[in-house]
This record gives sequence, C-alpha cells and structure tokens, in this order.
Amino acid sequence: MSLLAMDQMSLSFGGVMAVRQVSFEVRAGEVFAIIGPNGAGKTTLFNLVSRLYDADSGSLHFEGEEITRTPAHRIAEIGIARTFQNTELFEHETVLHNLLIGKHVYRRTNLVAEFLFLPSVRRQEIRFRREVEDIIDLLNLQHYRHQVIGNLPYGVRKMVEVARALCIKPKLLLLDEPSSGLNPEETEDLSFWIEDINEALGVTVIMVEHDMNLVQRTAGRVMALADGACLAIGSPGEIQSHPEVLRAYLGD
Amino acid sequence: MEVLQLLISGTSQGCVYGLIALGFVLIYKATEMVNFAQGDMMMLGAFFAFTYVNILELNFYVAVLATIATMAMLGAVLERVVLRSMIGEPPFSVLMLTIGLGFIIRAVAGAVWGNQPRSLPTPYAGGVFKPGGLIIGYENIVIIIGTALLCLCLYLFFRFSRLGIAMQAASQNQLAAFYVGIPVKRIYGVVWALSATISAVAGILVAPVSLVDPQMGFIGIKAFAAAIVGGFGSLPGAIVGGLLIGIVEQFAGLYLPTGFSDVTAYVILLLMLLLRPEGIFATMQRKKV
Amino acid sequence: MRFVRKTSYDHDIRLFRHQGQMFWFGLLLAAVLALPLAIDGFYLGELSLVFIYGIAGIGLMLLVGYTGLVSLGHAAFLAIGAYTHAWLLGQGVPFLPSMLAATVLSALIGGLVGIPALRMTGIYLAVATLAFAIIVEQILVHWVSVTGGFRGMAVELPSIAGYDLVNAVPFYYLCLAILVICLLLALNLLRSPTGRAMRAIRDSEISAESVGIHLAYTKTLAFAISAGFTGLAGSLLAHRIGYLAPDSFTLITSIQLLIMVVVGGLGSLHGVIFGAIFIGFLPQAIALGRDTLPASIAQIPGLEPGIFGLILVLFLIYEPLGIYGRWVKVRSYFEQFPLYRKATHRRQKSYLRTERMR
Repeated sequence: MSLLAMDQMSLSFGGVMAVRQVSFEVRAGEVFAIIGPNGAGKTTLFNLVSRLYDADSGSLHFEGEEITRTPAHRIAEIGIARTFQNTELFEHETVLHNLLIGKHVYRRTNLVAEFLFLPSVRRQEIRFRREVEDIIDLLNLQHYRHQVIGNLPYGVRKMVEVARALCIKPKLLLLDEPSSGLNPEETEDLSFWIEDINEALGVTVIMVEHDMNLVQRTAGRVMALADGACLAIGSPGEIQSHPEVLRAYLGD
Repeated sequence: MEVLQLLISGTSQGCVYGLIALGFVLIYKATEMVNFAQGDMMMLGAFFAFTYVNILELNFYVAVLATIATMAMLGAVLERVVLRSMIGEPPFSVLMLTIGLGFIIRAVAGAVWGNQPRSLPTPYAGGVFKPGGLIIGYENIVIIIGTALLCLCLYLFFRFSRLGIAMQAASQNQLAAFYVGIPVKRIYGVVWALSATISAVAGILVAPVSLVDPQMGFIGIKAFAAAIVGGFGSLPGAIVGGLLIGIVEQFAGLYLPTGFSDVTAYVILLLMLLLRPEGIFATMQRKKV
Repeated sequence: MRFVRKTSYDHDIRLFRHQGQMFWFGLLLAAVLALPLAIDGFYLGELSLVFIYGIAGIGLMLLVGYTGLVSLGHAAFLAIGAYTHAWLLGQGVPFLPSMLAATVLSALIGGLVGIPALRMTGIYLAVATLAFAIIVEQILVHWVSVTGGFRGMAVELPSIAGYDLVNAVPFYYLCLAILVICLLLALNLLRSPTGRAMRAIRDSEISAESVGIHLAYTKTLAFAISAGFTGLAGSLLAHRIGYLAPDSFTLITSIQLLIMVVVGGLGSLHGVIFGAIFIGFLPQAIALGRDTLPASIAQIPGLEPGIFGLILVLFLIYEPLGIYGRWVKVRSYFEQFPLYRKATHRRQKSYLRTERMR
C-alpha cells in the first residue's frame, strides 16, 4: 500500500495553473525525488502536501486516510515533516531550542502544570532532550548545540532544519532542495545522511532536488514536473533519458 | 435634506481623514514603514501655516506654498536623519520609532507655539453657500475641492512623471528597482517629502474648521483606521476609507446615543478586520516559502 | 569568565545556571526585602508602582517580546483589571478572590480579542488592539452605573483577612510578592513547550505550523495570558492610585507600557524590570529636573511625553536591544577584560523579510 497518494490535484494562483492534475504515489520506505525546471511547481506541490495551500481539486491520502482538508498544524502529528527551500528556522533561538520545538507534538502537559513547572513537565523536558540528543548525534551537530541560528553558516542551518524535522519522528520527510547552497563536500555528506535517515530510521523521503548526481545516488524513483504537470515517473535512469523530460529541460 | 447635509459635512471630514491616510499609505507602500506620526505632521503643517499667516503676515496663498515647501523639506530631513538608519529593521521598531517621533513633535510644538488653540484666518472664512435649504461652509467646500485636486495631481504624478513611475517601481520591488538604476534611497526621501506635503495640505484645509493645537494630530489615529479600512497599501483605498469613516461618523453622531460617534471609526475598523481583513482594496498576500 | 560544567540535562532546565547567579539574585531579593527599613513611604510607594509596572510588563513582554504580536491597547486590560477589582470589592467580595476574578476576566477578554487577531499580523493587529482599547475607554466613560463615568470611582482600601494593607510598607510587600510570583510563573512558562511554541511563532509562523504548533490556539493563549498578567497589575494599580477614572487608561498609557518593554529590552524578562524602573522613575527624575531648569523650559506642557519619546527614539536607533542589551555588553566587557572584542556584539544586519508580496 502506498504511504502517500496524490490524486488529480490542481491548484491555480489567479490565472496561473501552478499544479495541473498531478497524481503520484509514494511507497513506504522509498526515496522519491521530484525534479523539474524552475517554476515547474515543485515547491507548490510540497506546500500542498504539507497543507499550507488548499488544492482547487483532487485528493490527498496518507496511510489510507484522506488528508485533503486536514489543517496544516495537524500534519506533523500524523507523521509528515518538512524542510524549506530557504530554511525557515527560529532565528533567535539556539540549535537545541529549535530541535526541542520539533518535539512539540509530543507534549502531554497542560498549561497549569507548565506554569508551575511540575515534576511531570521536568521529566518531559528531560525525555525530549534525550531524544533530541540522539538526532544531534546522528547528524553530527554536537558542536553547534548552544549556538544561536543567526550566527551559523548556511550549510549547518540546512542540517539543523533536517534535524528539526527528524525530531517530529516522521514517517514521511519532505526535503525541499536539501543541497541548494551546500558545497560539494556537504552535498556528499548529505547523500549519506539521506541514506541513513531512510534506512536506519525507516523514514520515507520525498525530495525536490536539482542536483542530478544526488538524485541518482539516493532516489529510487523520480517524478519529472514541467509547467505544473507530471511528465513522467520512473527510475532515475529512465527519467534522464525520457524524451519529454529532455525537451522540458533543453527546450524544443 | 438632513441626510444630504450630513453627507456633505461627513464628506468634508472624511476628506481630511483620507488625506492623512494617504500619507500613511504612501510611506507604507514605498518603504514598508508605518509612520505613526502622520497626524502630528499634519499638526505641524497647520502650525507653520498659522505662523506664516499670523506672525510673518504673508499673503494666505503665499503662506500655503511656503508651508508646503517647509514641510516637504522637513519630511526629507526626517527621513535622512532618523528613518534612514532604520531601513531593514523590523517593522515593529519603526512603528515604535515613529510613535516616539510623534511625542517629540508634540512636545516641540507645545514649546514653540504653546498649548492654547489658535485659529488660522483664511480668505474664505465664514462664507456660507446655501443651495436649496442646505447650509455649507466655504471651508468645507474648500476641503472637498482641495482634496479632489490633490488626488488628481497625485494620480497624474504617479501615472506620467518619471519620478512617480520610479517610485511605483521601488515600492513593488526594492531590489529590482535598485538593479535597474533607480536610486532607491533617494526615492525614500522623496516619498517622505511627498507624504509630509500631503499632510501639510490636510493641516491647512482642516485648520479653519477645527482649531490648531498640539493635540490635533490625534485624529491621525482615525485616519490610520481609514487607511486600514481602505486596504493598507492602496492609495484610492485610503481616500475611500476616509470618506466612509467620515460619513458614518456624522450619521452615528446624530442617530446614535452620545459616545458612539467617537468609536464608529474603530467599530468599522474592527468589523472590516473581521469580515474582510484585506480591506476594501486588497493588495496583501501571504508570505511565500 | 565562568565555565559551567554540566553533568545532567537538568542543568539546562534549571532557572539559575550556576551558584553564583543564585547568590546574586538572592542578594538582590534580600536587599529589596530590607529596603523599607532604609527609605521613606513616598519612595516605597514609587517602588510599588515600579513593581506593578513590572507585572504588567511581564504580560506585555510575553506577547510582544516572546510571541511577536504587537498590542497598542494594553491599557484596556489594565483598566479591565482595575475596574473589575474595584467593583467587586465594592460589592463586598474579599480581596484575594476579587483580584483573582479581575485576572481571570482580563484573561478571558484578552482571549476574545485574540481570536479576531489570529488572522492578522503586524500592523493590522496593532491597529485592532488600538481600536479595542479606545472602545474600552469609551465604555468606561459611558457605563456610568458601574464605572462612575468621568467622575470615576473610589477604590476600597486593601485588606487581606482583616489585615490592613493601606500603609506603604505592607502594600510594598504585597506588590513585591506578586511580582516575584509572576516572574516565576513566566520563567516556568518560557522553559516549557508552550513558551517555546510562542517563541517559534515569533520567529517563523509557517515553520511553527509545520512542526505542529496550532497557531490560532497558541496566539489566543498568548493574548489571554498576557491580558491576565496585565489585569492583575491593574487590580494592584487600582489601590495605588486609589481613585479610578478613564483618563488613567488612555492610548498614552498603552504606549508607555510598550516603551517599557522596548527600552527595557525586547525578549528578556530582565528587560521588563529595567523598563519598569525606567518608566517608574523617569517622571520623578523629570520632576526633579524641572526645579533646576529655567522656568521657560520647565513649563513646557508636553515635556514629559516628549522626553519619553526622545529616549525611545535614541534607544531604537543606537541600542535596539534596550537597557538589558547594554547591560549584557557591559557585563561581558568586564568578564573578558582585557580581551574584550568589540565585534562580539556587533549588530547583525537584518534584512527586511517582507510579508508583502507586491
């Protein structure tokens, strides 16, 4: 059974069709890449899946449940986490705090307990911290733990964002151009991490990516988009030699 | 007949709100700053006009031009000295800064001109126009005509002058405007000067109707409500919002119990924010990721 | 410079980072407790006012400094707290329940104001709260049967279980105790998930939403909590001024509260206290200054708000982090002496991240 299924979804802004009748399925446990020229509607597609945008038509299912109209803040709870193209971190907070915010969906304490900082709140904080430290170890962020985001280099910020998404313990992770702005070494590290996240943690990954090397190394299947429409879905090799995809990239 | 009478007085009051609102919107559109001292700029304009007419004893029309020139200069200086350093700071800081500026301007005006209300003598003072049972003061007619003329000038300026078009470009995308060679910073100065000019005109127009004192700038808050009702960021919206609030206020003053007319502007504002938060002339969209 | 050796995660959760910090705060508390022995009733009264501003400031700071929502109308909550408390006391309700009721009512109304505010950001929210405050002010004027209208209403003298709090000294301790409790509550909130969610909303709403934070709920909650603290401060303020009239709760009051959190230092509870001292004592300082200045300057009517405005403007331009920000710089200068590098605290150029698309 597919983990995520998008069926015939469309969205237009004013008169511009950003997404046209796109359908695809992502199987549990795979790494699925979305490629396409600039303006093809890749990020819009992500915003549809993470429910920041409402689709005009079509439906979206996650683990067999319909989530076409689920409010955006419930998406993390059901197990979908995402990163953003230009990083959307909490700039004035430390790395540690950013990651702890990722634990928000697991909070079980009420407001009164928090005001009084009852032992239950303290225990919960320590539990969160322990889980966050696991993610910090996984992505090698120990060094930056207490640094404020605003002072960090871009590559580290991107990793912090991945770490924050992992703190949600998602079943599905959406990575929006994870390699943009990274240098070649960082991109190489990233490919290993994506493998780790996928295999060791068992997280299904969908990524929007321009770097075909990274896609080839990590992704099992690829979807090519152009002008908001799905051109083809297949293995990286198939997609790279697909005539329509070539035409979309190179022009007629 | 009564309705028509209220409509006219509401329109003239609304024009004043609209003009101040225009100042707000102009600055916001071009620089993304909210100038909370707009009403106090109007007050300064009225005081300069008072000074030129009463103390320097200039001809009224010369005084008007002198006031406009003074205020334009003041606006540009204010932008250069105070606001320029705030480019890129969070909007909240700028809001607080202009609130602080308002306090300072009021204190300075109180120090220079004193706190007692002054009246601005005009050549058209006291005249009354009586078409078919209506009673309309010349002051009100001048406000309406003055506003209409100013709007026409602004329209022509933004539509046809090089500078106006450059300003529009800068307001839509600062970075792109900079790249095509528009001196964005200098444009900011011009915007502040223009906005100060508009508030000076508003001050001169309103001075004969309400007296001139350092506290008169507080109607800027109602004008601010008008700007939001019109859809912050739309120039015609500012005038329409101003007119709407001015007219409803007049009717509320007559038909509703006392106290209601003072809050009508804010009730309209809250209703608008609840029902159509983007204002009459919507220009806002959600941030993109 | 002190290095703290952390041996458990609890170290990062504790309120005091190390023994030294605990010592200094303990010393400060002892000094404040002993103060009535040293100074006379007038200055104790002024200090009580500083504490009351501090409590209101905690509320406003949680909203403006930590959630990033601007309110230009917090005087309304101050008024709601003050009038509710005074009215309930007049109906024979005992002191503490009445104060609690004033707090809860302010919080409820704050939550109600928060609901329409959810869809608004920045300037829209500021204006909506402004409109709300002006409407509340008009209600105070026109609802004569409860508020006494322009004539105002007298506040019963404060007493808890028959023990009189009229004198400066017991009232001082009452305000101090409530301030300390409020500070602890706020600190606890800020180190738990709700506080983190608030700060997340301040920094990036979209991102907060995608990690599962319910924006509408959290913002409403922030509004309610903020209004609750401010209402509580209002109920104490009622006793401090003794006689309530609408002109104690105007737009200027709201702006003064904002000046407190901005000048104190946005985003820190230290800033609240610094700011409260600032707005509590500046009028005194101006009054003292008036005596020495020539009459022509001292008699300027708008002098006090003008000086407030001037200081606000100077802070925003030269020290946007407020008094607390300056304090941090001075402290690290001494800690690192003589190795202090000027660049440590250099302001990052923050580029405008616009919410506007055209």
